[in-house]
Amino acid sequence: MDMSESLSTRDGKKLTKPAFYAGLMIILSLLPLFISQGYMLHILTLTFIYIIAAVSLRTITISGQFPLAHAAFMGMGAYLSGMASKWLGWSPWLTIPLAALMTAGIGMLIGYPFARLRALYYAMVSLFFGIGVTQAIYAGGIWTGGYGGLIGISPLLPPTTSKVPYYYLSLGLAMVSIIALYRFEFCRIGTTLKAVAQSHLAASSVGINEAWYRILAMGVGCFFVGLAGAAYAHYNLVISGTSFNFMATLWLVMYVLIGGIGHFAGPIIGTFILILIPEFFRDLKTYSPFIYAGTLIIVVYLMPQGLAGLPQMVRSWFTEHRKDKRTVHAA
Amino acid sequence: MLLEINGLTKYFGGLFAVRQFDMQINEGEIVGLIGPNGAGKTTTFNLITGVLRSNSGTITFAGKDITGKKPHEIAKLGIARTFQLNPLFGDFTVLENISASFHLYPRSSLLDIYFNTATYRLNEASILEQSLEILKLIGLDKMKDELSKNLAHGHQKMLGIGRALAVKPKLLLLDEPLGGMNPDEIDFTIRAIRKTQQKGVTILLVEHNMRIMDFCEKVIVINFGKKIAEGLPEEVRENKEVIRAYLGGEKVA
Amino acid sequence: MEQLVPTLTNILVLSSMYILVALGFVLLFNVAGILNFAHGVIYMLGGYIGFAFSVVCGLNQWLALLLTVIVIASFGVFLERFCFRPFAGDFNRTVTICIAIIVILETGVNIIGGTKILTFPAFVEGILRIGHVSVSHERIVTFAIGAALLGIIIWFINRTKWGQQMQAISQDIEAAALQGINVHRISAFASALGCGLAAIAGCLMGAYIGLSPFMGDFMLVKVLIVAILAGVGSIGGVFFAGLVLGAIDAILPLFISGAASSAIAVAIVIVILLIRPQGLFGHEMEM
Repeated sequence: MDMSESLSTRDGKKLTKPAFYAGLMIILSLLPLFISQGYMLHILTLTFIYIIAAVSLRTITISGQFPLAHAAFMGMGAYLSGMASKWLGWSPWLTIPLAALMTAGIGMLIGYPFARLRALYYAMVSLFFGIGVTQAIYAGGIWTGGYGGLIGISPLLPPTTSKVPYYYLSLGLAMVSIIALYRFEFCRIGTTLKAVAQSHLAASSVGINEAWYRILAMGVGCFFVGLAGAAYAHYNLVISGTSFNFMATLWLVMYVLIGGIGHFAGPIIGTFILILIPEFFRDLKTYSPFIYAGTLIIVVYLMPQGLAGLPQMVRSWFTEHRKDKRTVHAA
Repeated sequence: MLLEINGLTKYFGGLFAVRQFDMQINEGEIVGLIGPNGAGKTTTFNLITGVLRSNSGTITFAGKDITGKKPHEIAKLGIARTFQLNPLFGDFTVLENISASFHLYPRSSLLDIYFNTATYRLNEASILEQSLEILKLIGLDKMKDELSKNLAHGHQKMLGIGRALAVKPKLLLLDEPLGGMNPDEIDFTIRAIRKTQQKGVTILLVEHNMRIMDFCEKVIVINFGKKIAEGLPEEVRENKEVIRAYLGGEKVA
Repeated sequence: MEQLVPTLTNILVLSSMYILVALGFVLLFNVAGILNFAHGVIYMLGGYIGFAFSVVCGLNQWLALLLTVIVIASFGVFLERFCFRPFAGDFNRTVTICIAIIVILETGVNIIGGTKILTFPAFVEGILRIGHVSVSHERIVTFAIGAALLGIIIWFINRTKWGQQMQAISQDIEAAALQGINVHRISAFASALGCGLAAIAGCLMGAYIGLSPFMGDFMLVKVLIVAILAGVGSIGGVFFAGLVLGAIDAILPLFISGAASSAIAVAIVIVILLIRPQGLFGHEMEM
């Protein structure tokens, strides 16, 4: 038995079980049959893309680093792919994976000098780097479209009236990414990353090159967020720096934290809830930041495990409650 | 000679922690390193294992110059250690702590690991087996599924030793392995250390508890970063310099 | 050449403001051990509350400034006690609470104040003319207040009991506690002080370049640059780095667009960090 499997059953047992994902997949695959309005499909398509970004952000945090530039890397993937397809005329099917690889490379390059820094310092530096990227985008003149954004990006599919093909493409991409990141976390590589996060001294004393592993986590996380960004670019066909600024990173971080940073499914849950719920309460949209911030506060004070930890919390509350009843009887 | 240290020097600001320190350890020996608090024992360990960078001097291990190498490289060359403050992988269980430490041997490649190949599965099975063996040696097999942060202090220290053993070291550095243990735990640990030595591991240990000095073949005494005595435990005990070093501190006998 | 005097005064104003806010941030980090990402929005909030007092309530600007400092400093105490102290050491939760604060305050101000840039009424009117050179009184006063405050802070940290206690805590918190220093009280005070300084800078900058709900983000970046460049645990470094950054921000935009100069500034900082991760003045950090 793979040693790492025991870890997966411990954190979020119910939620990392295949049954959960299978059920979710079935529901999501069948949805377009029931939903005809293009808007809902559009929102879901975007949600799947953001899920990839959120899960990949969490993957990086496994190694003990907290990247505060994640949306900037998403922007990198988007702009690299968008610019390559627009100015070089390459097909999006080529530029998307290439952009993801380049984003991964840049992430690893940036990670290299800072992999030896304390978590606090790393957070500050990544914050910075993210801002630098957005500024570079704005200063990019014609090539990036500057403040106005990049338009005229080649679409992934020939123009269609239906949103359905993009829905399935996005869903498929998300599925593949989730499976890939899941395996990454729950094999020995992931275990080693978690070891490094808990004690870099102990890890290096058993031969683990902690700097290298942190860079690896950065590379993998950046690959997938770059992928998400590139997919976004060729779906939306218009991108601008404002979608990838510091605030955007904060949103991604919120999705992960509210969903629960300790659980693999946390970012998935968080993204779904935080994107979809405002869609159902359209009038509250201006106030949605308050609702999010409020939820964050609740999570931080009362539910550090995030929403993904809810089943666990409920279960332990029940067992406590039942224990009391039993002692009453004993007395 | 397995480990040779020549003229090792480390200072912080204006203070010398280790000063022109020399030491030789032969294969198969159990050597004790003693000295008053602040004498430079843990600093020496940190210098050997690459946690600290020396200012001058050389460290040679099995014929190779290891001065200035990083901790993980040193582990790969066959030196493992425990720490005084004993950092653990707290959120891992006891078993996971050990199995995660089998990073070097057997080594599966990244691709093997990720794609769950037969090589990987074989290696993991072997790691599981060896982990359980180590747990038995250090007496923690009954609590293999406990979270390591919930263990009692003495057990945590044993876990630290177990983790070092997963490296399959040629040289094992133990930094106060008996610290904070009760008499039963001390007996058990001493027996475990002897068993390890019998398997061919060279051991260098730092301890204040004098019982352990009795079965060291050689004792080196360090004070203010310099070696002040070396020899059999009985010789060292009588040495005037050593007694003077400890006066006002702990007693030697 | 006509640019010389305005640029010089611009450097002085920007530097003193950056140092003021960065000091508050660094103090909070060194003494209370908190990386307050929300420091930027506190600066912004200071500006807006000052605006509320002076324009909406019609009070004299100086009185408004005083009241703003009191309000924001108290808010700082509240934050330290209820939002940061419970999570000291837990980085994830500290970041989370900072994000929540940022989002709430920024959105709130956005809704109430609107996205337009508001002008804070000037503290002093008039322009000083010497020969060919003219400088607005505003600039002089802003820099003077900034410099005076910084001087007071330095005196305070070095000469008063509470200041020295803050130094002690930032060097070794356990030793300080064992010496009988009331760490909680001093941390709360550091927070009040830091937030108060940010509030003053917010009002002054509001008069200098105007208020916007996102001025906090802008200032946060400056603060981080200064803090990182200054290095771990160095107050003197904050002064130097603030001056350097003020100079860069005043000079660079004369030659290239605003966005490009920001990008370049960030790139410079990253390069410096590659060579010297502990900042220009910091001591070596353990990993």
